[in-house]
Amino acid sequence: MFERRGIGLALMLPATVFIAFGFILPVLILLAGSVQVGGAWSLGHFVEFFSSPLNRDVFWRTFRLGLLVTGVSAVLGYAVALAIVDSSPSAKGRLVGLIVLPLMISPVARTYAWVVILGRTGFLNVALTGIGLTDEPIRILFTETAVFIGLIQLFFPLMVLPLVSALENLPADVVPAARVLGASWFTIFRKIILPLTREGLVVGGTLVFVGSLTAYVTPAILGGSRVLMLETLLYQRVAVANDYASASVIAVILIVMSIATSVLLKRLATARGER
Amino acid sequence: MKTTLLSAASFLTLASLASPALAQTPTLTISVYGIAQDAYSEALYRPFEAQCGCTLVVETGNSSERLAKLEANAGAPVIDVAALADFNALEAAQAGLLQPIDTSKLSNYEAIYDFAKDPVGGAMAVGYTFYSTSIVYRSDLVSIESWKDLFQEGLAGRVALPNITTTQGPLAIYMIDKAEGGTTPDLAAGIAAIGEHRDDIVTFYERGSQVPQLLQQEEIAAAVVGRFGWANIAKLDLPVEWAEPVEGQTGGMNVLSIVKGTQNEELAHRFIDYWLSQEVQTKLAMGLVDSPVNAAVEVPEEIAEGLTYGAETAESIEFIAPQTMLDNRDAWVAAWNETVAR
Repeated sequence: MFERRGIGLALMLPATVFIAFGFILPVLILLAGSVQVGGAWSLGHFVEFFSSPLNRDVFWRTFRLGLLVTGVSAVLGYAVALAIVDSSPSAKGRLVGLIVLPLMISPVARTYAWVVILGRTGFLNVALTGIGLTDEPIRILFTETAVFIGLIQLFFPLMVLPLVSALENLPADVVPAARVLGASWFTIFRKIILPLTREGLVVGGTLVFVGSLTAYVTPAILGGSRVLMLETLLYQRVAVANDYASASVIAVILIVMSIATSVLLKRLATARGER
Repeated sequence: MKTTLLSAASFLTLASLASPALAQTPTLTISVYGIAQDAYSEALYRPFEAQCGCTLVVETGNSSERLAKLEANAGAPVIDVAALADFNALEAAQAGLLQPIDTSKLSNYEAIYDFAKDPVGGAMAVGYTFYSTSIVYRSDLVSIESWKDLFQEGLAGRVALPNITTTQGPLAIYMIDKAEGGTTPDLAAGIAAIGEHRDDIVTFYERGSQVPQLLQQEEIAAAVVGRFGWANIAKLDLPVEWAEPVEGQTGGMNVLSIVKGTQNEELAHRFIDYWLSQEVQTKLAMGLVDSPVNAAVEVPEEIAEGLTYGAETAESIEFIAPQTMLDNRDAWVAAWNETVAR
């Protein structure tokens, strides 16, 4: 028994050492850097960071876009997931394949495709002016709208897949039973589907929200320096301004936001389940 | 089993025999700008490797990124030679990240223009190319006579300016400030003018390579760029002109420096010397990659048109002194963040 335990521990050792030195230690060093000013413990860097209107704007923009992308992904995600679950087995496979397909293409390539679509001479503007909705091309690229569209496209599959899985686990007779009893579609969704698929929503919501907060390529290409987000600001602080103090503050904010979201969503799901 | 052990043992023996030989091949690590790497490889890297019997390891990135890396690795430098913007080189020198170049080891030193010989002082850097900075514009849509014309009505929503964090950023502000009648080193007039028109500016680009793409997609009709980017812009099938504004042009210089603590000092000097040679500078000029600082370089008129060429041109450029840039840059960035970036 002891020998077996010893082998188990020995097998775990390389991974433990790797995680400790490759992840936990650097994060701790980062955390320490953000709360030290001139060798003493202080929250000075955080105060300094949030005292700048630019940084506050970037913080709120990142948070707002993260929420919006998650919310819209959830609404559209339920619609798509319900349609997938409701289709025939062969169509289901094809539809899930279509949802997964973009994940196999590099985010850089996908984002550049949006540059072509959203540009002044891009597909969208040509279509809009062609059907006479606008007289001249409208500005989409380098705006928050462009970043929003890019992020939705990037993370939407991560919302749909857990929802499909959750909906498939829904007992087959609950929805027909509710309909027989005269419940409206809205009531069925609110009182049956939503509570019973909350685990999927929590997983999808966490992935999309944290992904949107930490995405770099899409905001950098579609938003540029006009639509700074925390990740793009972090890059600027490190690589351009050489300002490691505020860079570590941003990294800590991102880590805290990600962990807090995941804990909060999990709590919400559990609380609902217990009631 | 035995066979496996035997082959493993012979492999290890062979590997241990081979490694000292590998370690003896001298390696020089250089960190340079990312543009035109194919041309550099042909004109500079491969001929140098053939000449020195060494291996060049090439890292690329912009000047500020490089400075950040130099600082991060100050204890154990991983780069031997760095190409930097002149003011970044001064910053690196002041932070003790560079070591003086022994100019007696550079056979081509006397051949380069005086302004490139010791641009940051203390022999910490030597200029390898210089450039003017101006406005490129779609001549079928607008005309540009002054830096103020960047804000004309016809260009609203169609202009790209370099971000303050790029090398070109402060240069653009400097000239806009001059056009707006600015007289103080804080460039307040220039920053205020850009802030006032911030919604008319499509993007503040981070990399010069974005500009041809933005022009091609007709996203922009004008942008402020360094002359080294002109070759790629002129190639576009568009009526694009290089402006010669009444207020003049500014510009900058890129320099080569040796990183303090390098283990390859001799090779580093040899490499810098070769880069400054008439041969390499001519090849790079002919490829419209870099404007030469070697005064002996001669190129045909049509090539010169694509470059910042000759002593006379150099004299006409209003360079910002590296020290002025360092002294004021933080304040410019702060003012920019408050007025423009928000």
